Amino acid sequence: MAHYKIMGQDPYWMNFYGLMILTLIEVLAVGADLGPVADSLGTEEKVVTLWILTIIAIPKFIMIAAIFMHLYGDEDSGVLTMTALFPAFFILIMVLFVGLTHPDAPSSLPDWCRPGNYGL
Amino acid sequence: MSQDDHHHPSAWGPHDWNHGAPHNSWAPFILSMGVAIFLFALAGAYEWGEFQGWGSVPLIFVGLGVVGFSLLVWWRQDMSFGMNGEVFEPKSTGTPFQNIDIRKVAMWVFLMSEMMVFTSLFSTYMRYRFGIPNCQTVFESGEWVEGTAVTCFEPASHLIASSWFHIAPGAINTFALIISSFTIVQALRYAKMKDIEEDVRRRKITRYLGTTWFLAILFLTMKMIEWFLGFPLPDFLHEFNHGDSSIKSLYAEGYLINADHYQHHAYDTHYLESHGHGLDHDSELYAMMEAGTHPGGHMMADIQVSATTFYVTTGTHGAHVFGGIIGLSYMTLKAAKGGYTPDNAVSIEYFGLYWHFVDLVWVLVFPFFYLY
Repeated sequence: MAHYKIMGQDPYWMNFYGLMILTLIEVLAVGADLGPVADSLGTEEKVVTLWILTIIAIPKFIMIAAIFMHLYGDEDSGVLTMTALFPAFFILIMVLFVGLTHPDAPSSLPDWCRPGNYGL
Repeated sequence: MSQDDHHHPSAWGPHDWNHGAPHNSWAPFILSMGVAIFLFALAGAYEWGEFQGWGSVPLIFVGLGVVGFSLLVWWRQDMSFGMNGEVFEPKSTGTPFQNIDIRKVAMWVFLMSEMMVFTSLFSTYMRYRFGIPNCQTVFESGEWVEGTAVTCFEPASHLIASSWFHIAPGAINTFALIISSFTIVQALRYAKMKDIEEDVRRRKITRYLGTTWFLAILFLTMKMIEWFLGFPLPDFLHEFNHGDSSIKSLYAEGYLINADHYQHHAYDTHYLESHGHGLDHDSELYAMMEAGTHPGGHMMADIQVSATTFYVTTGTHGAHVFGGIIGLSYMTLKAAKGGYTPDNAVSIEYFGLYWHFVDLVWVLVFPFFYLY
């Protein structure tokens, strides 16, 4: 169980409020007209939405894992966090291969996503 | 020689905890056999979405029976409580998990294997999403002919994120899972409290676990509505839904794993014109139609890959929620009988890890499958 406070408050309640707010922002971001923002950035509205969703998903992911799953603040949090991060290596490889096998890989993806970068 | 060295625990259980943690079991082997039989029979029952007759059905149940039997053997062998109320919680002895509960370590290793399962589903989705041209892009490119199906990627979000009504079941589910993650933590908190009356503890734990159970049921109900049922709208909301009186399910929209003739009004030039949407004037299709080189019409799409990645990923997640419901049903009943005390509260914690993981996966599934 948590033996700490967040801003002087119960960590589970604070985490709960935070997750609810972030989810609300997520849903609103999809409904909002982001066309002008996308135009000013010189990209498509979908890309802006994707960035917002990704940026919000990361803290949500961390908040659930760290506070609700006790990967922060417990005696065994360190070793269990390392255990939880272990698949990250394989996830990176999978994402890399998604890039390598993409039809546009030889032409339009960043160098590190291209087969040629690895002598393939 | 110590007493343990003379002890040869049965691979069928029940285990004598006085001799340390169990080491051998046939249960995982039987479980994998059961899963193999089940999947083999299931694959034989359907071909391209067509039911192939009842021949394989008995074998499906045999597979499920073997799975159930293996779980029974496993539970009987590993159950960590005695008939007289004793609680056994063996500690891990090896590096790096020394002195951490074996069940906790096992749960984390299990969750990481689960992470790999979902990672493979996500990478499959990414690969297809970015590798197959988007249906909207194909439509606007004009590289299609009415009556001939073109292969393209139609993200489910095109239907789901098309209005607040369509997105409602998924959004409710998101909030339901987050709330349920919180309620199970609260159940754990009260289970671990020592300075509390037994009856108060029993009621609090039962209430929070029961709420978690209810939210899990709500999740699957919303999933059913979204996939198969749809829902009617009250009269005053029709005008906000293009005059339609109901929200169609994905099934009714034709978003199916075998949809090789999928048609949607967003890909119909006549519909777009008649509803004042028109075509994007910058699109190639618009230019071709203006020049008279494309007759327009209704694009037909083969969306089997996109629909399959959606249903397999969200379905796998839904299956995990269903598994959670089974666990929660048992735990809620146990809590109602006063079965949880600070001594065995870790059971709630370890189930909670699984449940939070299910929530964690949804945190990624919802934006990337439902919103984007």
